[in-house]
Amino acid sequence: VRELSEQAVAAALGAGASYADARVVVRRAQVVGTRNGRVERLDDTETEGIGVRVLVRGAWGFACDRRLDAAGAEAAAARAVEFARAAPGGHRRELAPLEPAQGEFRTRLERDPLAVPVADKVALCLRAEEALLHEDVKVTAAVVRAQREHKVFASSEGAAFEQELVECGGGIDALAARDGVTQIRSYPSAHGGSSAQAGWEYVEGLGLEREAPRVGEQAAALLRADPCPSGITTVVIDAEQMELQVHESVGHPTELDRVYGTEAAYAGTSFLKPQDLGSLRYGSEHMNITADSTTPGGLGTFAFDDEGVAASREPVVREGILSGFLTSRETAARIGSGAGGSMRADSWSRMPLVRMTNLHLEPGEGSLEELIAGVDEGVFLQTNKSWSIDDKRLNFQFGTQVAWEIRDGRLGRMLRDATYTGQTPIFWGSLDGVAGPEEWRLHGLTNCGKGQPGQHAHVSHGTSPARFRNVQVGFKS
Amino acid sequence: VTALELAERALQAADGDEALALVQTERSGMARFAGSEVHQPTLIENEVVELQVARDGRVGIASGNRTDDEGLRELASRAREAADSAPAADDFPGLTPPSTPPAVEGFDEEAAALGAEEQARLAAAAIEASDLDLYGFFTSGVTGVAIAATTGLSVSQELTDVAVLALAAVEGASGYAEQTGWRAADVDPAGAARVAVDKASRTRGAAELEPGAYAAVLEAPAFAELLAYFSYDAFGALGVIEERSYSFDKLGQQVFDERFSLADDALDPRGLPKAFDFEGTPKQRVQLVEDGVLTGVVWDRASAKRAGDGHQTTGHAPPSSIRHWGPLPFALSVAGGEADSPDQLAEAVGDGIYVTRLHYLSVVDPREGIVTGMTRDGTFRIRGGKVADPLVNLRFTVSVPQLLAELPGLTREPVLVNQNAYYDERYPTGLLSPAIATARLDVTGTGSTPGI
Repeated sequence: VRELSEQAVAAALGAGASYADARVVVRRAQVVGTRNGRVERLDDTETEGIGVRVLVRGAWGFACDRRLDAAGAEAAAARAVEFARAAPGGHRRELAPLEPAQGEFRTRLERDPLAVPVADKVALCLRAEEALLHEDVKVTAAVVRAQREHKVFASSEGAAFEQELVECGGGIDALAARDGVTQIRSYPSAHGGSSAQAGWEYVEGLGLEREAPRVGEQAAALLRADPCPSGITTVVIDAEQMELQVHESVGHPTELDRVYGTEAAYAGTSFLKPQDLGSLRYGSEHMNITADSTTPGGLGTFAFDDEGVAASREPVVREGILSGFLTSRETAARIGSGAGGSMRADSWSRMPLVRMTNLHLEPGEGSLEELIAGVDEGVFLQTNKSWSIDDKRLNFQFGTQVAWEIRDGRLGRMLRDATYTGQTPIFWGSLDGVAGPEEWRLHGLTNCGKGQPGQHAHVSHGTSPARFRNVQVGFKS
Repeated sequence: VTALELAERALQAADGDEALALVQTERSGMARFAGSEVHQPTLIENEVVELQVARDGRVGIASGNRTDDEGLRELASRAREAADSAPAADDFPGLTPPSTPPAVEGFDEEAAALGAEEQARLAAAAIEASDLDLYGFFTSGVTGVAIAATTGLSVSQELTDVAVLALAAVEGASGYAEQTGWRAADVDPAGAARVAVDKASRTRGAAELEPGAYAAVLEAPAFAELLAYFSYDAFGALGVIEERSYSFDKLGQQVFDERFSLADDALDPRGLPKAFDFEGTPKQRVQLVEDGVLTGVVWDRASAKRAGDGHQTTGHAPPSSIRHWGPLPFALSVAGGEADSPDQLAEAVGDGIYVTRLHYLSVVDPREGIVTGMTRDGTFRIRGGKVADPLVNLRFTVSVPQLLAELPGLTREPVLVNQNAYYDERYPTGLLSPAIATARLDVTGTGSTPGI
């Protein structure tokens, strides 16, 4: 396989490319999903191919071929060069300098999740579902997933490395309905659960069966809960919802390709400008955000990204000040800072883009209880339900599955249909506390969309619960 | 080798009491541009085989893109292992019986012949027609879908699609236009770019707006996206069965303005026609709303079996990767009204807001049909019946049924709005929609200014 990638690079150079890289990717993925006591999904997917990226007179070209043989490698290279030659525009591109990457990387794991019998996965889902059952719960669902991706990279600068990334995860949902009201509770996260780059021990550690009775009961209890009142108040947000808050309002706007406008037509741009680096106040002094592609268990952990830049840990926001962007070699050269390291492709058939790797809200001090104790009147928000943010990542609105009234530093009654909204830098400026390391959790999501053609990225975020003052809560049409 | 021949080969390799092979092929190119230069050009060639087998009442699915004999044997082995690991599926509806799919249009030789150079040339045509920086893409592709099953089912279709997206944008100004179709002649990249530039030129100096309920005109792309988000929950049978859909207890009731009629019609040559769904069932036109009355939802074999009350599939099974969503209306078609243009709708509104495009929608409450999102790339005040001064991007949080409850007008001719974001395997989908005027769009906040 290594020879194939080198063959593709040689073919691209021979056809006139000034730079070329090739990725051979073989991926196997398995999804087991059950719903209302029946197997709903039992899918086993394998996909393989080679993607070749070239620069010809400063213009990018990318083409791919599913055939892992010399004909496929050479055809992809020739077509990539052809497309680059035809590309309109006045192209001038530089790439940040790089020592050619060499080596191997494999996920550390105890138990290969793809070696776990499918029957065991089905049984786990069905047991977890059974524990979700409650009189008012109309839909129970459980899902587990596993994936192995083997990637071989070569470039015309002499890079040659191989990586095998293994991930798995799972989650449960209970949907309750009565008298025209429908409510959902999920664990450990909404929208398909949580995943990690790890062995099956991660899924076992989630405790899906253990948590299911609470999840089912809360879904049913929400049917009788009062709607969350509207108003400006203090919110304490749980670690899982903070994952999405960080993702949408810090991760995407700090992607430097968005700042330069290359996602303008689809995912959008950013309220940040290149000149904001090092000076823009993003949030309060409690806000510390780090991009870390070395985090054990992170879905964005690797030895090298998809253009051969070594993994690293870099500050993005330090004590509230914008301190770094997520970059590619091209955007790093353009801004004159950094070396890239965030380029990731969804598969062999997609061109790498600037993506989040693992982006963390660094922990502060104290416990969740201490955060809540510092609130006279407010709400505690748990687990994402809906999410939306504008094209420059300024105005956002999130809904959560459940909220709890806070009065005099204590949790009170359960509330349903909670939403909160804000403007990114104003909201982060109102951050006045982040819980400590003992509350910090790593969450992994697999549905981050970007690019045309569309690409899904698998991204992790480490977060602790956090407290924000003067937040607009409770908009519902 | 055709897609159907490949499906037949996969079926021969299958090891089960019953089996169904689905093949999807793709040959596509996308010249994506930003700042008036192509920066993400992507050429894709792929073929994917999905094999579903039933063994002793147990069902498993595997897929792969190695299509030599060894690859198909290995695929069959994984499908067999999946089935053998599953518990007996008492709700398995069985595989689709043989049928003759309806004859549909949807393949254009000229579109199929577009290669890398032509795709780049058509992107260049858009770029050259814009005197502002242009962002977007030109894309074309050929998609093959074939299904063969041990029941004797054997169906196949080749589809073409072409699309251009044009966002003319500079600091503080942006305008949007798109065109899509299945014929090469359906799109005019330069024309789309000119519309985007004109729109952008009117967005400079955008002002904020107080939150509140406003009358509004939604251009076809804006209304299509809002309707799609509402419809996936509201008009699929699974949502009704599971009591989480807006339609759960409202079928047969007048819930929308009588001007509003909606169908799902994959057979319509104005859309992106399909002959059969992902189970191989022939596509049917399904009337979802007739003169404001909720009249139906779409079904697949699994949901019809589960309902168990005489319902039949309507040919709306989705790909297996999103089967948990249930059957989906991927070919929505809104009946046109009597207005000649969106400007005429603005006259009907008198005072309100004008929306070109939406961004990042999310369903807040599926049971009540509440959706939130932002406007972008062309939001204006309507004053005195005219599209007037520009507005910043607005957050809306709307009850879609409330928005549809009073429609002062719709434009006469629906246009095809692209619904494909080109994730995973290419499968062209679009929504036929007019522009609409509504008496109520709930604005709940303001966001960024137009432009880069």
